[in-house]
Formats: sequence, C-alpha cells, structure tokens
Amino acid sequence: MLELAIWVAFLEAGVRLGAPLALAALGECVTERSGVINIGIEGSLVAGALGAALGALATGSVPVGVAVGALSGLLVAAVFGAFAIGLNVDQIIAGTAVTLGGLGFTGVVYQARFGATGATLTLPTFAPVPVPGLGAIPVIGPIFFDQAWTVYLAYLAAPVLWFFLFRTEWGLELRAAGEEPDAATAAGVRVRRVRFAATLLGGLFAGVAGAHLALDSGTFIEQMSAGRGFIAIAVVVLGRWNPLAILGAAFFFGSASALQFLLQARGVVAPYGVLLALPYLLTLAALAGWIGRSRAPAALALPWPKDG
Amino acid sequence: MTGATTLAEPPERTDGEAIALSVILRGVRKRFGPVEALRGADLSLRPGEVHAVLGENGAGKTTLVNVLGGMLRADEGRIEVSGRPVSMASPRDAWALGIGMVHQHFTLVPRLSVLENLALGVRMVAGGFRLPYGEVRERVEKLSRDTRLRIDPDALVEDLPVGARQRVEILKVLFRDPEVLILDEPTAVLAPQEIERLLALLEELADRGRSVVLIAHKLDEVLAVADRVTVLRQGETVLEAPRSAVDAAALAEAMVGEVVVPARRSDEPELGDTVAILRGVSARGARGEQALEGLDLEVRRGEIVGVAGVDGNGQRELAAVLAGRLGVSDGACELPERVGFIPEDRGREALVPSFTLVENLGLGLLGEKAQRSGPFVRWSRIRERTEYLLDRFGVRASGPSTRAGHLSGGNQQKLVVARELERAQDLLVAQNPARGLDVAAEEFVHRELLRLRGMTKTGGVGGPGIVLISTDLDEILALSDRVLVLVRGRIVDMGASRDRAEIGRVMVSGLADRGD
Amino acid sequence: MGSGRFGGLATAAAALLFTTVVASVALLVGGHDPLEAFGALLSGAFGTPQRFVSFTLVRSVPLILTGLAVAIAFRTGVWNIGAEGQLYAGAIVGVWVGLNAGDMPPLLAIPVALAAAGVAGAVWAAVPALMKLRLGVGEVITTILMNFVAIHTVSFVVHGPLQEARGVFPQTDPVVDAVRLPVVLAGSRLHLGFLLAVLLGVGLWVFFRHTAEGFRWRAVGASPRAALLSGGVRPSRAMFKAFLLSGVLAGLAGGVEVTGRSYALLENLSPGWGYTAIAVALLAGLDPLAVVLTGIFFGALEAGAGAMQREAGIPAVWVDGIEALVILAVLAADRSLKTIRARRRSVEEGAEPAEPVPGVASA
Repeated sequence: MLELAIWVAFLEAGVRLGAPLALAALGECVTERSGVINIGIEGSLVAGALGAALGALATGSVPVGVAVGALSGLLVAAVFGAFAIGLNVDQIIAGTAVTLGGLGFTGVVYQARFGATGATLTLPTFAPVPVPGLGAIPVIGPIFFDQAWTVYLAYLAAPVLWFFLFRTEWGLELRAAGEEPDAATAAGVRVRRVRFAATLLGGLFAGVAGAHLALDSGTFIEQMSAGRGFIAIAVVVLGRWNPLAILGAAFFFGSASALQFLLQARGVVAPYGVLLALPYLLTLAALAGWIGRSRAPAALALPWPKDG
Repeated sequence: MTGATTLAEPPERTDGEAIALSVILRGVRKRFGPVEALRGADLSLRPGEVHAVLGENGAGKTTLVNVLGGMLRADEGRIEVSGRPVSMASPRDAWALGIGMVHQHFTLVPRLSVLENLALGVRMVAGGFRLPYGEVRERVEKLSRDTRLRIDPDALVEDLPVGARQRVEILKVLFRDPEVLILDEPTAVLAPQEIERLLALLEELADRGRSVVLIAHKLDEVLAVADRVTVLRQGETVLEAPRSAVDAAALAEAMVGEVVVPARRSDEPELGDTVAILRGVSARGARGEQALEGLDLEVRRGEIVGVAGVDGNGQRELAAVLAGRLGVSDGACELPERVGFIPEDRGREALVPSFTLVENLGLGLLGEKAQRSGPFVRWSRIRERTEYLLDRFGVRASGPSTRAGHLSGGNQQKLVVARELERAQDLLVAQNPARGLDVAAEEFVHRELLRLRGMTKTGGVGGPGIVLISTDLDEILALSDRVLVLVRGRIVDMGASRDRAEIGRVMVSGLADRGD
Repeated sequence: MGSGRFGGLATAAAALLFTTVVASVALLVGGHDPLEAFGALLSGAFGTPQRFVSFTLVRSVPLILTGLAVAIAFRTGVWNIGAEGQLYAGAIVGVWVGLNAGDMPPLLAIPVALAAAGVAGAVWAAVPALMKLRLGVGEVITTILMNFVAIHTVSFVVHGPLQEARGVFPQTDPVVDAVRLPVVLAGSRLHLGFLLAVLLGVGLWVFFRHTAEGFRWRAVGASPRAALLSGGVRPSRAMFKAFLLSGVLAGLAGGVEVTGRSYALLENLSPGWGYTAIAVALLAGLDPLAVVLTGIFFGALEAGAGAMQREAGIPAVWVDGIEALVILAVLAADRSLKTIRARRRSVEEGAEPAEPVPGVASA
C-alpha cells in the first residue's frame, strides 16, 4: 500500500512538473509549425513567472497572477517577433538574445522591487481542483485529476490546438507558411502576419507555463525557468510537432524531473547534482534515439523573405 | 484585403458565371539592378480569348505576367482592369481581382496533400474556422473529372512525379475559378497527350468567357490555340495582332529581330583519350529516391556530349556524380581530377554571394598547388587571375573586391563559366549553362564551349571532354557531337541523330503513364 | 574583411549608440541617473591603470576565449550555444590536473593543465557535434542542454569527489602553485592567460584570412552547398573540426580561469561567460581580431558593474540586460545598414539584389 502511494505521489509530481513543459511546448509547436523557432520562450517563461508573482502579490489572486504572467510571456515573444520576423534577423540569435534579455530584465525588476539580496517571496498558490467524478477514480484521479487548473489547461489545449492545426483553414495556412512560405504567399497567405501571430501565441503559452512555475512553488527565484524553455523545444521535436504527442512527451519529462523524489522516497542514495542533471541527460538521449523519425517544418528557422 | 493597395474592386458576380474582365497593361517598366527586364511592355486582354505571349528567353515574358499576377510590382506603367486603374502589391490582391496564375516553378507545398494544396488560401467559410474537407473533396473530384486532369486528392505532393505536380498546379488555380488565367510555360514537363488535353481545356475556358494568357516558347503549341498574340523583344512589346493576321515566319521575325547567328558546331570532333567512364552507375537524390539507375557513359577529350531530357529525370545527380561531388550507390566510375563544373543553380551552388569575386575564384581554384604556399593561400596571385578573367570574360563588376551577390544574374554566370573553364583541364560538366542569360551572353557561353572543344585540334594534350546537360534541345543540337537522352535516371544513346521528333519521343517515353 | 553576415565597424558603432540610448532610458525609468551609472561603470573599469589591468583585462580573458570559440563556430555555420558548458568541462578537468600536479615543474604542469582543459572542452562539444553530424539532431538545443548538464556536474563535483578537504564550502581546494599561471605585469593580477587569449585571437585571424583551411571553413559557413559543389569541401567535416576547435577554446577558458584567477573550482564560477560570448562575437562581426577588443569591452562592462553597484547603488544585474541589448542592437544595426547600403547601391549603380527575385531568372 505504501509502495502504491509512493508511485502515485511520483506520478502526480510528474504531471505537475510536466505541465509547464507541456504548456510551453504546445505554444512553441504552433510557432514552429509556422516556420519560426523561438528559443526565446525560455525568456517568456521566466518573464511569465515574475509577472505572475507580481500580479498575484499585488492582488492576492492566483488567476490575476496567471493573466499577468501570460501577458508578460506574450510581451517577450513580441520583442522576439519584432526582430526575427519584423527585421528578419537570424531566429536562433534573436532567440538567444531574448532569453538572455528576459533573464537579465527579470533580475533587474526583481531586485528593484525586492532588493539585491531578494527577500524570499511567499505567493498565493494554486489549490488543487479535483475534477468532479474523475478526481475520485483511484490512482488515476489523484495523479491526473486533482491538479491545479493550469494543468487542465494543458489537457484542453492539446486537442484544441490539434484541431486548429489540422482541421481549420487558419491551421492550413499556418502550416503552409512553415513549409513553403513562397507557395503560401502565391496562394494569398500573409506569411509574416501568420508567423507573428503564431509567435505571440507561443509566448502566451510560455507565459502561462512560467506562471505555473511561480504559483505552484509559491515563490519566485531569479532564473527559475532553469532551461525548461529549451527542454520544451526538445519536447516539440520528440512530439513530432503534433500537439497530442507533445502532451505525452511533456509528462514523460515531467516524470524525469520528479524522479529525484521517487529515488529519495525509496531510499536510493544518488548525488544531488546527478539527479538534477538527469532531465537534461534524458532529453539528450531521447533526441539522439528519436531523430530521423520526425521531420521539422521545411522552412523552420530560415530567414524569409530570403536575401543576402 | 489590404484596402489601400487595390483601388478597384471587381464587379460582383454570381457563382460560376463569368464577368467580362478586360485587362490592359500599358508602358510597363521593371528593372532588376542593371538589367532592364521590361522597358515599355503592353498587353491588352479581352474577355473570352486565349492570348499568347511570345518571345525569346530573356525577352521579359515571365516578368510581365508576374506583374499581372501581383508577384512583382512594376517600376512604371499602368494596369487597368475593366477600365479602372489598379495597383497590386501581392498575389492576394490579384486574386481579389479574379486573376490567377500558374507559375513556371512549382508553388505547391510538398508536405501537404493535393487536397490541402487546393484548399490553401481559399476561404471556404467565413472566418477561416473549420475546413470543410468533404466539400473541398467533392469540388476537387468534380473539377478533375470536368477538366480530365486526373489526380489523387489524398496523395502528398512530394510523392508525385513532376507531370502530376503540374496537373495539381493547374487545378489549384482552376479551383478558384479565376476570370483571368495566366499560365507561364505550363507544358515543359507534360507529355504530348497531356499538352493536347491542356490546350483543349484552355480553349474551352475561353469559350466560357474567361481570358487565358499563355506563355510558351514553342511556337506551334501556342499557334494552335491562340486567338491573339503579343510578342515581346528585349522587354518591349513589338507586335500585337490577331492570330489570323500573322504566320509563323512573321512571328519568328518579330521575336528575334536582327538575326543573331547562333554558334554551332561546324566540324567533326578530333577525339583524344577517354577522360571519364561511368559503368552501371546508380545514385540517390537528395530525398533518398533512386535518381540514376545503371547508367553507362564514356567521355573523350575534344567532344561535346549532349545530354537531353525533361527536367527532373536525374540531371542534377548525373552532373554531381560526373563532377565527383556525389557518391554512387552502385557501379564504378573513373573520373579525372581537374574537372570544371557549372551547376544549375549558380546563385546557391556555384557562388557564395557574401564572398568577394576574388574569394569566389579562390573557392574553385584552391585545388591547384600553385595557389597555395604551405597552408597559406596566395591571395595576391588569385587576385591577379581574377582581374584577368573579369576582363577576358567581360564580367561587369566594379572591381575584384565586389561581393558576388551584387552582380547581375548574367554576370554571375559569366564569372562561374570563367572559373570553371579555367579548372576544366580534363572534363567540363555544364548543366543548363545558358539558362537565364540574355541572347548575347548565351552566345558567349556557347562560343566558349566550342572554343574549349576545339583546343584538341590546336594544341598538344588537348582540351577537356565536355558534358553538356540541358533541357533545351536546341542548345543540345547546336553544340553536341553526340546526343544522349536521360529518362528516369537511365541513358538512351541517340548517337549522332539530329531528328528532333525522335529525340522528343524518347525524352517523354515512359513519362506519360507516370503518376496516374 | 568581414564575413558579410554580421559586422563592420559601422554596425558596432551604431549598435553601441543604440544600446547606450536604450539603457539610459531604462535607467531613467528605473529611477536611476544614467550619467551617474555610466560614470561609475567607466571609473570602475578604466578609472585607474590598476583597475583597468587587474579588473577589466583580467575579466576579459574568459570572454575573449569563449568569444573566439563562438566566432569560429558561427563563421563555420555551427550554432554552438554551448561555450558555457564547454568552459565548465575545461574548468573541472583543469582543476583536477591542478590539484594533482604537485610533482611537476611549472613548465610542464601549466601546459598539461591547459591542454587537458582544452581537450575536455572538445569532448564536451563532441557530443552535440556527433549528434548533429551523425544523427542530424540540431546543435542549438543539444549544446544548451549540455550546458545544464555541465553546471550540475560542477555542483556534483564540488559537493562530492573534489570538495575541499575541510568539507565546509562547495568548492575545491586551491590548485598547486606549479600550475598557477604567472603574472605577466608586475604588481597586477594580469596573468599569462591574457597573452594567450590575444595570441589566439591573432592566430585565428591569420587562420581565417590567410590559410586554405580557414577559407574552406568560411565558405562552409557562408554557403555549404556552394562550398561542396564548387569548392569540393565536405561541409560536415569542416563543421566537425570547427565544433571541436570551438570546444577547445571554451574549455581553455575554463582551464585558464581556474589556473589564473580563481585557483579553485566553485559553483557559479562563470557568471554566464559562455552566453555573453555570443554578444562578444557578434559585436566583433565574428572577426577574431576584433573579438579581442570586444572581449575587453565586455570585460570592462562586468568590471564596471561592481563599481556601479557600490558607488551608484544600481544592481549589477543591469549589466546582464545590457548584454542582451547589445546582441539585439547588433542584429538591428546590421540589418538596417545592409538595407541602407543596398538601397544606395541600387540607386548608384543599379546592382541586383543578392538573391534573384523569383521568376526573374527565366524572364
């Protein structure tokens, strides 16, 4: 019985830790399908976390915090879009700069607000919302359906985005922009506009993901995104740019992060640093083993329109 | 709609019914850097006609219809649709006016299905929400039946052979039921029966009140269906007349103007040693498909071997294998070291646009020991060589330190030809070396090839063997000592045959039935 | 000569001007006096010869080395965002040699430690390099992931196997004297690593400018297809070599740091040099010689940040934001200048756009 409880707790933590990955990866999936790789979502994530912290602190309300976080993530993505799409500069470099800027800027704001030493913040946190009916199912219930509502947002977003991408005219135009922007243009699609919108959507999702980080742990720490934005990009690859598969991949990596709890609970002594490195190592291993089975959108990361 | 850019909206119409749309282009000018592609071109299009636009390579046909299709914006000139001046900034604006275009290059999204490609950009329902797959499928199938252009709506475009892609391309435009239909060289990749069917279809559309603009450089094709013709020469409209008022000779004269005597071989080759041998060679293309299959080829010094064929039959791969740039999956090759290689896409494959002309020359010449000393490059030497070649080949550039990307297309090609002729001590592989050049530049390249061929007669060791891979049969026939045809990755030897019809039949043999 | 991709003095100048203006506005909004801030920053970095040499120049060493690492990689078309991790790999191995080199003479110990650090950086880079070239996994994400692995490995090492004998702090014991880099300017802290960095900058400039191999790498970076089809260069081979050399330089940065300045390995040894290196390289237009200068510039920024915090009460973290701003400004300035130049050219001599407009080639 104790054994089962440990496993349930582990998987519950996996879902909880996987949710921000899922949200960020789902948004990034739409962005990438339009032909834009935004590695600046790491910056959106940390901005979302800080925004959520400030919003929740000011109003005492978790939903307001999430909303402010979402907008902060969107804002960071807008900066990225202005450079990568507006000025058509290299997406990788623009994304790197936006990530560094996001980390630096949140540091500035945080220290300006709370002092250089940084008081430990205590934020209002999510209360788990059991889903009526589903939450009561043994094992499955506590793992999946007794979570914060942002987790349910991820469950919901995956099929909605799938429908959007593969069953609507907007989705068709967006995918065409990511495959053959010239052909899309010839067919009358306004490629830049579509890409910018997709980038903003990605930022919005990353912002919510960041908000989940802050309001799940109940605090904000500088650089608390800790590379989750980058793992989310790997999750997009592993999920083959398909929202439904991405949801699964994200929870797999959430579980990898939760592994340390499981090992500790079972009395396995492993060095702390190794445990922390584990999610990144697993991501690398998965990428190495998985690649070749998925193809990125053909125009991903290429400047468009082409020029010297 | 970007309201500001389109000044006139077309009149309302009820579905399927044509409205008389007359289009007039007057005094259109367009320049690309130093090249003036259009200098005062006119075109007037009446409802219900098939209007042929004729002209030589480089006369400005594609540029003109690109202006009409919203792909390019004219520098000067006016466009009137049904008497009202319009300005178009994008294909989207052209579509809003009822103008649709089948491009010379494919504008399909390879990884989408045929159905999705047809539905792309067509807002079937307000707001773009759900895509009515069922309705699209019904319409596609009906259209396919009506036009007798057969396609599989669920196939991925990337899996289709070129002929089938061209059918999709045409259906894609017809799917939107345009008032004005522009087709830029639609027949190049179609088999003869398909060409006939397409031309009949165009006549039918005109009968139903649509206007059709047809570009082709094959006179007989267009004369069969055209109601009126416009002839462009060096960017200007030199003739516009009803089809019945002109004959082929008059059109040819209008197209060519002053007669340039084309370079052609005039003597028998003086053959030297064999420089390249391919035995049973197979190779794979960029997407892993079997591009070459069990192919044999021998090239000797002093001869020009012409390889004809419809685009996409393994030309790229054959050129790359001969140049030693692509490994073979099967078979054996004996290839020389000192090979000159003029690839098809000079902008991306032969030159580095951000490098200077000196550096681009260096890129090709670094294989020579004389250009290096130890690990170092002797840039001063390469610079001298560059200056000499720029002068000798008449490359128009502000100096050897100009970046290659700043040259016009013709000058880029001259630079590539200059470099590769320098390198081609044993073998020269040239793929469509005159594509995109104006008449004079084309002439120049052809003369250089013949000069290289003649070196075997005049000098000791002799000139290189030359493989000319071209989709332009005229070019092949004018220059080659023997003609091969590349069909689906295999070679058919035509020997010294000069019979166009026979070569043409071989070129499309086995192509017609593909993709159905 | 510039790669054409980034670069040029005008770009750098415009970018710095833009950064200064935006940073000033941001400081004003944040309630700080920009003049006071920049004054403190400048005096902290350049105020006295002692400050310039012992703070700015010493700070610039890892930035120049990682900046060179990034410049080499980017020039060859390799998106190595992993200098940070490669630096840590070099630091771990460098410190390990440094702890165990007690019996060696300095003339041997120093080269061994630095070589080992370089090799460690190359090994760390080899993982994403092989994943890229053998398996086709893009290097951007893998190099970033390797950074996190490296950082946690350092944390493991300094809490575990290499923790100081006292077992109090998460750091290693100091390295032996034999392996410590000598000071090259008497009375200062400027160590041999600075000379090494400058020499490498010059050497790499010569490499790219004057050697056949360097030219091939540049060609691969500018156009892999043209390099293969016209130059006969195998892009994957050139990229692999450049990836490893990039790792060597970043690893060296870590090795030099632990033998020249910190004398020990600790968590947060690097305040993100591997990322700042991207700004260093871009501002230099990927030119190795210019990297030496921009490395010193960023060294001054980081040295001045401390002074800014002490004297003007402005959090040092502002400098992180400024660094990101520099990257964006370089991109924006480069793009704008390119557009202006293209426009002017087309007016003056009517040159064609670099890439032919679709449809023109056959018109």
